[in-house]
Amino acid sequence: MRKIYAFESKCLGCGLCEIYCRTAHSRSKDIVKTHKRESITSAIVVEEILSSSTISYFALQCRHCENPKCIKACISGAMYKDDNGVVRNNKEKCVGCLSCVLVCPFGAIKKNDDGKTVSKCDLCVDSGEPFCIKNCPNAAIKFLSEDEARVLK
Amino acid sequence: MKRYLIIGNSAAGVNAAATIRANDKTCSIKIISSETFNSYGRPLISYYLNGKIKPENIYYRDENFYKSSNIEVLLNTKVEKIDTIKKEIIVDLGEKIGYDKLLIATGSNPFIPPIKNLNFNRQKNVFTFLTYNDSIKLKEKITKNSKVVIAGAGLIGLKAAEGLFGQVASITVIDLADRVMASVLDKSEADIIQAHIEQRFISFKLQTSICEVQGGSNVSGVSLSNGETLKCDILIIAVGVRPNIALAKEAGIKTLKGIVVDEYMQTSIKDIYAAGDCVEFSDLLSDESKVFALWSNASSQGEVAGLNMTKIKTKAPKALAMNSISFFGLQLISAGIISNSKSGNNFICSVKNKLRKLNIFNDNLIGFVLINDNQRAGIYTSLISDKTKLSTLSYDITSRDIGFNVYSKDERTRKIWDYKGGY
Repeated sequence: MRKIYAFESKCLGCGLCEIYCRTAHSRSKDIVKTHKRESITSAIVVEEILSSSTISYFALQCRHCENPKCIKACISGAMYKDDNGVVRNNKEKCVGCLSCVLVCPFGAIKKNDDGKTVSKCDLCVDSGEPFCIKNCPNAAIKFLSEDEARVLK
Repeated sequence: MKRYLIIGNSAAGVNAAATIRANDKTCSIKIISSETFNSYGRPLISYYLNGKIKPENIYYRDENFYKSSNIEVLLNTKVEKIDTIKKEIIVDLGEKIGYDKLLIATGSNPFIPPIKNLNFNRQKNVFTFLTYNDSIKLKEKITKNSKVVIAGAGLIGLKAAEGLFGQVASITVIDLADRVMASVLDKSEADIIQAHIEQRFISFKLQTSICEVQGGSNVSGVSLSNGETLKCDILIIAVGVRPNIALAKEAGIKTLKGIVVDEYMQTSIKDIYAAGDCVEFSDLLSDESKVFALWSNASSQGEVAGLNMTKIKTKAPKALAMNSISFFGLQLISAGIISNSKSGNNFICSVKNKLRKLNIFNDNLIGFVLINDNQRAGIYTSLISDKTKLSTLSYDITSRDIGFNVYSKDERTRKIWDYKGGY
């Protein structure tokens, strides 16, 4: 299974991944309409690392764990693993209790702005390759199989 | 063909069944449930009560789960006896069902305190709030004129209050403690929750208890230990739950507060396992054996039991107390030891309806409470469960909001590349 891996040395911290993540999960799939008319929470966290000499960044999203704690914590059965190993959240069933937020060791699940559900990376499985990957200007996030990722670790 | 039998159809039972099926395609799996409905998200019963979820969305697994996994479920069926010698159970119709491996996942029962003139089984307007059926019956009974008294300001009592809000004339919550959610929160956090709930004209009578109920087959009022009396048409008893261990105890399985199991979820009798709210298990922070009435703990233990029952030796991790719950939009997330009275240094950052409390002891985070401040809570939970030395982190966790950047570069890479999850 392919997952998204971040390469800190390449990340500019521009936040385009978040913009495209919101667009990918919008109704309109249009970048302007998404941000003007819809309220969507991106499933990515862009983290900042401050050191005395530099600032660097990396984008973090759901790791689609083999044995996910979020699924066990989910009280409604909304969180599930699909047949391809992608951990997904069924928004119809999610009640926004944040039990998943409480156990995700990456802090990669966010409360949705609507307060009713949560937002997490679904690898854009319904629309092909992840939008964030396609639109990262510096290839700071890559969509890799575990074997490919190991080489680049 | 191996015969797996599971008593209980909630988080532990269902996850055990699914795990067994994943590892053994040909065995027979039978679940016995005393409830009327297929497995549902138990904490969702308050969402059903106030109509926040559609009835079809209360179910924990979709309609075809049992069928597609070839799991047989007997609903409305009470187990009378476990015969550990013959390896069979006897259900209320007298039918005997044999097993090769048995899982006891019987959960908890509501605790009914001894109150003068209270007769829970005969008084028609007295309710508990633990099952979908409880919630359905309560919803049928209430009117916009109902005066509701709830005994217990814990999680269940407060969720019942939230569920009833707007549908009844008045709600009064009574608790012996000086604060709401006393077993989980200190006064400073509890006061924020209480004040928020009071804005909805739900009133609290704390540091008192019901000493007598009035009326006959319908309760008409309650007398409190502080001398007050309150009229009521609905009384909800929500003073806590007790592990449902009667069946196990009678069968000669070792029990203390809960059913005693080893780290493989096996009871004192071979081929009989137990998981979820009915067991007692080692606490990650104190090493004491405790009963954890927690959904995530039950589903985890169910999975681990299922693995061991199918001979995939797996240890269940020690349990960590935690909660994520909201009341009228105020979000509370907590884990570990949070009480000021226990050793540790508390860091509290509080503004208006927001609070972050971290309990730090000996270079370890041992507990936290977040109110309306929740985005990365799981990173704190991980610091507790991994027993991470705080001095190895990139910054002082009391100095700013937590992020994954709290870990060193090597640790970040290791986790992002290699982390697999866990039970």
